[in-house]
Amino acid sequence: MTEIDHRDDHFALLGLPRQFDLDQGALTAAYRELQRSVHPDRYAGKSERERRIAVQKSSQINEAYDTLKSLTRRAAYLLKLSGHSVDGSNTSFTDSNFLMQQITLREELAELEGASDPEAALDAFYRDVDGAIAEHTAAFQRGFEDGDYAAAKDEYAKLQFLEKLRSEAERKEGELLDY
Amino acid sequence: MLMQIAEPGQSPEPHQRKLAVGIDLGTTNSLVASFRNGRLQTLRDAAGEQLLPSVVYYGENARVLVGKEAEAMAAADPANTLASVKRLMGRSYNDVTLSPALSTYDLVDCGEDMVKLQTRAGALSPVQVSAEILKVLAARAQESLGGELVGAVITVPAYFDDAQRQATKDAARLAGLKVLRLLNEPTAAAVAYGLDEKEEGAIAVFDLGGGTFDISVLQLSKGVFEVLSTGGDSALGGDDFDQAIAAWFMQSVGLGELSAVERRQLLTACRAAKEGLSDAEQVDVALGQHLLSLTREVFNDLVDPLIDKAIRACKRALRDARLSHDDIQNVVMVGGSTRVPRVRERVGQWFGREPLVDIDPDTVVAIGAASQAEQLAGNRSGEDTLLLDVIPLSLGVETMGGLTEKIIHRNTTIPVAMAQEFTTFKDGQTAMAIHVVQGERELVDDCRSLAKFELRGIPPMVAGAARIKVTFQVDADGLLQVSAREETTGTESQVQVKPAYGLSDTDIADMLTSSYAAAGEDKEARALREQQVEAEALLQALSAALLADGEALLSEDEQKDLLSKMEVLHQQKQDGSAADIARHIEIVGAASEAFAERRMDASIKKALAGRQVDEI
Repeated sequence: MTEIDHRDDHFALLGLPRQFDLDQGALTAAYRELQRSVHPDRYAGKSERERRIAVQKSSQINEAYDTLKSLTRRAAYLLKLSGHSVDGSNTSFTDSNFLMQQITLREELAELEGASDPEAALDAFYRDVDGAIAEHTAAFQRGFEDGDYAAAKDEYAKLQFLEKLRSEAERKEGELLDY
Repeated sequence: MLMQIAEPGQSPEPHQRKLAVGIDLGTTNSLVASFRNGRLQTLRDAAGEQLLPSVVYYGENARVLVGKEAEAMAAADPANTLASVKRLMGRSYNDVTLSPALSTYDLVDCGEDMVKLQTRAGALSPVQVSAEILKVLAARAQESLGGELVGAVITVPAYFDDAQRQATKDAARLAGLKVLRLLNEPTAAAVAYGLDEKEEGAIAVFDLGGGTFDISVLQLSKGVFEVLSTGGDSALGGDDFDQAIAAWFMQSVGLGELSAVERRQLLTACRAAKEGLSDAEQVDVALGQHLLSLTREVFNDLVDPLIDKAIRACKRALRDARLSHDDIQNVVMVGGSTRVPRVRERVGQWFGREPLVDIDPDTVVAIGAASQAEQLAGNRSGEDTLLLDVIPLSLGVETMGGLTEKIIHRNTTIPVAMAQEFTTFKDGQTAMAIHVVQGERELVDDCRSLAKFELRGIPPMVAGAARIKVTFQVDADGLLQVSAREETTGTESQVQVKPAYGLSDTDIADMLTSSYAAAGEDKEARALREQQVEAEALLQALSAALLADGEALLSEDEQKDLLSKMEVLHQQKQDGSAADIARHIEIVGAASEAFAERRMDASIKKALAGRQVDEI
């Protein structure tokens, strides 16, 4: 998605193996180490040009870290690297459990506005949606690691739906609680 | 011969300490701090005061007073005594008329542009007023440190948007200060605490100042301050507490409209009452013949709705950081308004732990900023801290039907670059309008409009065939730049976006010219001196870089080429005009770009290699 030239992928940039199961500690440590060497603050006394390059490099490392630290974005990125389309817009689900889960969450979301205690209702919603995200992340990992890309893609499409619901809730939260 | 080359391992000018300061440009008070006599400290004025009231008075005969002296004029001449202008930075008339804190001023509606204040010195931008405050602080620093400043780290509320940040940077430029970095206030406070406590783990910084509120959640680890999320309200602070007391007072005694002078008197009395209640259980509030007693209980009821607002923001910040209360190891209190006992009590209750109030909440931000200034000026080596901040509000563009499409989400670590592709919707379309907004809402009208610009020169094609890639780059100061490029033909349409509420470069140039004239300074001489200093800095940096990595990273021809261009610049620095020097700085800069990039890539490789060796 960025302008920056990718000679290396995000995993290689951070010196990590290209796999779903990453050691979060190692990811963070690598990220910080790299930022220490290229963050624009390290080039505060340097020329305009050097500072501009530092901003670009530092942005590139931030993007890599941002992509890999979120499990959903990491899933999408791995699918893309292995040549699979990640556009879930015309996926149709046959999994009835997932459909039920979707319907329940949608109802919960729709009832937020009329809730007597919207803050508590939001808390409950986030708990439920985050639970569902964790469940389908695990399912994605099983599919991906077994080389069952059809299953992995299916789980990823579900994650996309759930993340969309989550951001919908965030937007409503802003409006309901007047941030 | 070429410029003098230092011995390897030595900096070109050893032991040359560079003078840099941290400035907290506050709504109510401002401060400057620096490293002096072996420690970080705030710098005091001749009268021994560290706090400079953020008040500017425009008197007769172009007399300008700043601070206490200006404050003293407030009662007699409120229209020309400007306080709390931080609330107006980067704001249009329509954004601020609702705020009662500013009701004593005569605001000038400038439409989409930044609001101005009508004074006897003319209609002034809040940027100009802020520059007056910065000038006084810079002068104080130069006097007490005994030399020219290389630059300043200036703090801003974490929740400041692009327009407010740009306005702050413009004010510094107008005051003749080089901005080493715009630093978020809670991050600066965390730095000050981190120095003392050597914290590790997650902390929350609750920063309630005179007019702004920030909450930041940070992860601290071995000198890295990583902001996980930030939230707040750039128009919530102690001023609002005063307003709440004033509203209560007026209602209780049945007062109607007040004159500007009376209004100012009442607000001053309310502020005193609020401060009194930090120790006393009950205080008197008086205006003319009206006298009322205010108990702490009533005061708490008045401010609770405001504190509720702050606590809701804390909740969201924790959620954005994906943490719960239990993960927070410490809550740090910053800003004068956290002296209010009710604020401490409610924040302590909500986080379930006693908040830290060890460092003076008025000075902690300036001290943290000074620490960072010291590092950015290059005075400190080794134990460097690294501050990783985030963008507080999402950035997006307007799409069909007045909706926003987010390009960079809030709480994304900066610097960050993101690109989005757009296409034409009509055959032969050669221009396209792009509207950049900041905010979380779905409708464009509910977000802040940052810039509107038109992309021209798109080659005529059938509808939907052009691929226009718009890149958003946010730097470490949180400032945005946008550029665009038509991908199928490679037509560049570079656009540098200045926020709609900001000042144009011409505005700034005009203001600078008049301020040089006022200071009796020669603009040409100043420009020449600036270019000479810049050329010298570039030459020194490049010589050091060539000594270290020239042979490893450049071919013999590349080295020769660069050296000969540096030689010319060195000549120009001595004999050339400002324009000549600028041109050759550009030439040398361009010639050294590849070298600079290779050096950075080499340092990335080295960082990775070092880590992998550690792990074995």
